[in-house]
Amino acid sequence: MEKIEIKKDLRELNNKIAMQNRSVFNENSIFTLNIMGSPGSGKTTLLENILKPLTVSFRIAVIEGDLATDNDSERIKKLGVTALQINTNGGCHLDAKMIQKELSGIDLNDIDLLIIENVGNLVCPISYDLGEDMRLVVLSTPEGEDKPLKYPPAMLNTDAVVLTKTDLAQFVDVNIKMMEKHIKDINPKASILKAGKIDGVYNADCVTKFIVESINSKKGK
Amino acid sequence: MHETSLMENLITIAEGALEGKKAKVKSVTLSVGKLSNALPAALSFAFKAMTQTGPLRGAELIMEEIPVKVRCENCGLEYEPDEFPYICPKCEETYYTITQGEDIYIESLNCQEL
Repeated sequence: MEKIEIKKDLRELNNKIAMQNRSVFNENSIFTLNIMGSPGSGKTTLLENILKPLTVSFRIAVIEGDLATDNDSERIKKLGVTALQINTNGGCHLDAKMIQKELSGIDLNDIDLLIIENVGNLVCPISYDLGEDMRLVVLSTPEGEDKPLKYPPAMLNTDAVVLTKTDLAQFVDVNIKMMEKHIKDINPKASILKAGKIDGVYNADCVTKFIVESINSKKGK
Repeated sequence: MHETSLMENLITIAEGALEGKKAKVKSVTLSVGKLSNALPAALSFAFKAMTQTGPLRGAELIMEEIPVKVRCENCGLEYEPDEFPYICPKCEETYYTITQGEDIYIESLNCQEL
């Protein structure tokens, strides 16, 4: 019996392409954000609301990932923002290669912020580096206050967790303080941001602020 | 179910390692980190489904679970944590850096020479 030693990471190929993407983003001074979360957690709604203030300071393109339909990219286009749609046809996550392919359709000189909204899924996208600078995991309060405990890798591999639909928590008996504690128990370093309706108006100001500060800190401002 | 795409990569890596060799693969050894986000049952299912043909046909998948190890960011102690929250047994610090248990590695191929 012969033993062939290999010792290679199964994500090696994706990681290699992610590094190529990262080089392209850095060469073009583009900050890249990867937004992940369960289906229906409110990723696109959050995006719609942060795009309005972000377009004041940044030239933005959005890549939307979904199994099917171009509903989300159409929603973003309505705001006057360039949006491309990837349909994975059943695939549960975006990978670095899909992003690399999509970059040919974007004028990289023309943008300084690329936002990728991943396929709705709290498991698979987490394992795939796309070459991004920052990750946000979106968790809606109606998903349940113990959701962070059930998905540790999602809590561990993100810069911030955005709790959305905060206005609905009271109707579904979810204690937001407990949800925050569960996140901190897993990842004490993650920032926790909140978004939801206050007096009927959607407010995600702290998310916008967090993104702007991260971009400025990368630029060394 | 990203386990199928992980298995696709495993097959590509194994094929590369087997290039130019005349050998029948009896088993593939895989190290699966406890925090790797991959489900052993799904890996096993995908492996079986995807090795019906090709150089890994009939091979067995042997999975070894790799426990989580972290380094305390205060005192530097490396320890194997139990449940969350991870608390350093020496200084009770809760900030840590993961040093093991997030990866998923193909370790080796066990072959029979032809």
